[in-house]
Amino acid sequence: MKKSYAYSSSWSGYWFILPALLTMLVLIAYPLLYGVYISGFNTNLLNKWDFVGLKYYIQILSDTEFLNKIWITLKYAALVVAGNFVVGMSLALLLNREIKFRLLFRAILILPWLFPDVVVALLWKWLYNPLYGLFNYLLQSMHLIKTPIEWLDSQHFALFGVAIASVWKGYPLVMIMLLAGLQSISKDLYEAAEIDGCNKWQLFRHITIPGLMPVTLVVLILETVWWFKHFTIVWLLTAGGPINVTSVVSIDIYRTAFQSFQFGRASAMAVIVFVICLLMSYVYRRLLETNDQ
Amino acid sequence: MATRTKWLNATLMLFLALALVVTGCGGNSSSDNSKSGSSSGGSSGGSSNSQSGGSGSSGSSDEQITLRIVSPTVVENPEGEVETKYAEEYMKLHPNVKIEFIGVPMNEVYAKIITMATGRDMPDIFINSPEFYARAYEMGLTEDLNTLLGEEFVNGFHPATLREAVIDGQLQYAPFFTIPTGLLYRKDWFEEEGLSVPETWDEFVAAAQKLTKDTDGDGNVDRWGFAMVGSKNGSGGSRFIPIMRTFGAAELVKNENGEWVTQFDTPEAAQAFQLYGDLVNKYEVVPPGPFQTSYAEAVSLMASEKTAMMVTGPHTIGAVLKQNPSLEGKLAGAPLPHAPGKDTVSVLGMLGFSIYNGSKHKEVAADYLKFILSKENQLEWNKVTGRFPSRLDALEDPQIQSPTLSGFMQAMDFAFQVPDVPFYADVQVAAAEGYQSVIGKQAGAEEAAKRAAEAVNQLLESLK
Repeated sequence: MKKSYAYSSSWSGYWFILPALLTMLVLIAYPLLYGVYISGFNTNLLNKWDFVGLKYYIQILSDTEFLNKIWITLKYAALVVAGNFVVGMSLALLLNREIKFRLLFRAILILPWLFPDVVVALLWKWLYNPLYGLFNYLLQSMHLIKTPIEWLDSQHFALFGVAIASVWKGYPLVMIMLLAGLQSISKDLYEAAEIDGCNKWQLFRHITIPGLMPVTLVVLILETVWWFKHFTIVWLLTAGGPINVTSVVSIDIYRTAFQSFQFGRASAMAVIVFVICLLMSYVYRRLLETNDQ
Repeated sequence: MATRTKWLNATLMLFLALALVVTGCGGNSSSDNSKSGSSSGGSSGGSSNSQSGGSGSSGSSDEQITLRIVSPTVVENPEGEVETKYAEEYMKLHPNVKIEFIGVPMNEVYAKIITMATGRDMPDIFINSPEFYARAYEMGLTEDLNTLLGEEFVNGFHPATLREAVIDGQLQYAPFFTIPTGLLYRKDWFEEEGLSVPETWDEFVAAAQKLTKDTDGDGNVDRWGFAMVGSKNGSGGSRFIPIMRTFGAAELVKNENGEWVTQFDTPEAAQAFQLYGDLVNKYEVVPPGPFQTSYAEAVSLMASEKTAMMVTGPHTIGAVLKQNPSLEGKLAGAPLPHAPGKDTVSVLGMLGFSIYNGSKHKEVAADYLKFILSKENQLEWNKVTGRFPSRLDALEDPQIQSPTLSGFMQAMDFAFQVPDVPFYADVQVAAAEGYQSVIGKQAGAEEAAKRAAEAVNQLLESLK
């Protein structure tokens, strides 16, 4: 009786994870492995399958244009992640206080996250429009500028412009996760520290930040990987322009696959991006776990 | 009992998981933006065949047939209304046939077709063009329409349209319309300013400068001479390339060995890039934000009377009038200006419909194509949208010879054949990157031309 109880107990665990495991295998593992498989062929996925081995990987890794696009993508991801953290953290700290209408503010501040990426991109495209956009209209009404600013046509501003739109879309998730983290930090720690004479900055540095470290690690990894792979907002706002200033690697993969129809090469690029994302998450875990210790 | 309950629960969860997986993986044969013509529920008694150009073969009258059609024009205005109307009329004539449109914007339609092909979910009829037909043929998607349409019907197409629709003797698609690229301009403004239609780029610049002005006296320019499509995509690149050809440089041309070579790195090409840069930076005849101006934005600029000229086809007339009907009679077309000593150039901008070679309803699909290509339907299409018919009988009609369209008709005679290479879309993007780098002052015209040539040479290398 005891033996059969132990036997069914260990097996029932497997049964519980089986649905999720099957889903992951079909929806994640299979497409990933198929993508790696395709990357070894010059193929149109229909009637042409010419084996090329590692040719595309060699071509891509020795292509300075591609490496430049990785660099642009890193800059874009860094801007957006940093922006999301600053905005998200500030708002989370505010919402963690006992302020009036806190629930209402929380609901309003989450709204941008609920909009689809396409809607966000078109909204900001209108805001940035040099002739009809709200930004130029306000600035010209206040006589701060005489001629319209070509926001997304500017090589110096375009990447920031796209990043700002992305931060507007992305900060709510960071805000919610950090707020949850803040609320899990015991108030006793703050009280004890205040009794010991800590000021606001010391409280933040020695209690809040270490207390948020587990959440921060998760958020950083998710955010960096998501925005490194992001496509929609950049594509709709600038299509990688002006020239190549916002040409993130996801746009390159899209163009290679769906405009040039070079699926093998596009898959190779996607695999390289996957490896980069894996490396980034590994580096984050090592850095933040070391700090934690 | 407890063990039995656990087994039952686990089994139920497994089935639930499998059901979720199967549902999640299930394909939907009707993709995004699918539009059906209205239901054909009515009887066909008394219906007239006056607009039918087809043979009437629509399968046995009992067999319910759904024809799926991928079309970019069905999502455009006013084209979508006409295309939907054709479908409704055909369904009235053939109550057993249901037509379902899958509308996809032009810049995304080929990606959609490829995705559907790789997902084994091809429609019966899909859009095709000189830029895509080589790729579709290579992928084995197209049925030879010579047999399905018949020799007599095929001979009714304008010969220029057939030149860019045939590979290895097989008709890849039935040309539906052409939109020869030319210069669309505000005839009334030209008359007010005493300007004649520009024939050279110098005359064009002079006209654009004269038409760029502050019309309301507030000290800010609110009208510009030229709506430049400066976006980094096919809309922009496909307009720049004919302009470059008017300087005497071709994006791709066959050398004496029959190999494709590019002329992007010639002084003539650099002149074209320089023109684009000067229009924006030196002469300032282009509204702010040319990089954000794709086709739709340029049409809005014309419709809102912000610009006087645009490089485009006659279809833009319909789109502009839809937004601003008061411009009726104020627009006209002309062949593109050219460099001194060179000729004007145009590109047919043709679109047509292919029948998928795996379709189960090829005869019905062919019959539908014949229906929409009837003279009456072609003339109606032209009247509403401005796009030119591909059929000889419609082209000879006096409606096509109107003053508004005559300039575009002239341009047709100077159309060049689009190179039938699978990567032509990339060549257009390479051109777009070139002119953006000159306008953005990132590179001089020669440097931009050289980079465009390098990009195209890399593409040519990948062909080998």
